[in-house]
Amino acid sequence: MGSSPKQSDYAPSEAEKASAAVAMAEYNHFKKEYDPLLREMRDESKSESAKSTLRGRTNADTMQALTNNMTYGQTQSNNLSSDMSQAYQSQLGQANARAKDIQNKMASNVLGTARGQAADAQSGMAQASRLATSEALTRAKANQDVRQAKLNAAVELGTKAATAGASNLASGGTFFTPNTAGAGNPVQLASGAKQRLNFSKQAGTF
Amino acid sequence: MSEALGLTPVKDPDKAYADLTRREYLDFKEGYGDFEKEMIQKAKNDTSLIDDAREDAALAASLSQGVVDRQAARYGASLTPAQMQQQQRALQRGTQLGSAQAINDARIAQKEANTALMSDLINIGQGVNRASQSQLGSAAADATQRKNAYTQAKAASKAQTYSTVASLGGMAMLAFAF
Repeated sequence: MGSSPKQSDYAPSEAEKASAAVAMAEYNHFKKEYDPLLREMRDESKSESAKSTLRGRTNADTMQALTNNMTYGQTQSNNLSSDMSQAYQSQLGQANARAKDIQNKMASNVLGTARGQAADAQSGMAQASRLATSEALTRAKANQDVRQAKLNAAVELGTKAATAGASNLASGGTFFTPNTAGAGNPVQLASGAKQRLNFSKQAGTF
Repeated sequence: MSEALGLTPVKDPDKAYADLTRREYLDFKEGYGDFEKEMIQKAKNDTSLIDDAREDAALAASLSQGVVDRQAARYGASLTPAQMQQQQRALQRGTQLGSAQAINDARIAQKEANTALMSDLINIGQGVNRASQSQLGSAAADATQRKNAYTQAKAASKAQTYSTVASLGGMAMLAFAF
């Protein structure tokens, strides 16, 4: 009969342990080094820095284009300020739209990346639950096997006891004690283990 | 040596994995949950481009007038009252026209920006939805597998028990010569 299995025999291999340790270290590294960057980008996407930069640039471009080398005659023009006002509004509008595009793209990229991480976590959780399922099934099967083995052992013991009892009764003794004198003879119940053993040998049950 | 380099042994990878994935989800909720809601509201209600266009109309008028006045002063030019009046009217008219155009352009740009942002968000949400359904499908399949295995094990156990009882009964009958 073999010895019972040891839990240590089922411990993870060195390769598994190394793989898990490296994966955990890489994860911690990511959380420490990269996660703050993503949060910074999230905050940056809420700020107006792109808008401020683009409007400043647009302002400079507009003024350079319209006021550089302005002549005396132009100062007398009725439409100069009007044209400048329209051009300036148009340019600022474009700067605002471009800044909004940059801001929204940055924000959706941040969210997409963060959501990607969460999705990875979800699929990880699915894998983890699958591992747990596998464990639960294995455990249930093991419990089932142990229950069955106990029942088989009890049945085997019961069968042997019944056979021995029947043999004892057949010899003229009681269920638990044989008649050492043999069937048909005056009853001499066995006393002690030695007489019981001799009886079993003679009866062929041992 | 390994531990000094941050390579901490993982005694229970299964639990570490579960902890990590749970933490990742909680991190998202804490760091980006409100951000996500703000973005959805922004894609639905943002009017900042239109508001800016309105503010810029007043700014552009005063700025343009200032530029023209400074240029005229630089040349020592002086305008007649009639010229000044005409310039003022032209500026008002131009600013109004420019404002109307800028605001209309801003409305279109705002619509485009909001639609583009909403599309991006929907794409992100669709990815989340797909991942969630896949995860739920896996969980359902696992549950079914467990249920089936339990049913089979119960049936096998019952069959084995009947077989054992029958064997025991048979032995008893033989032993007692029934």
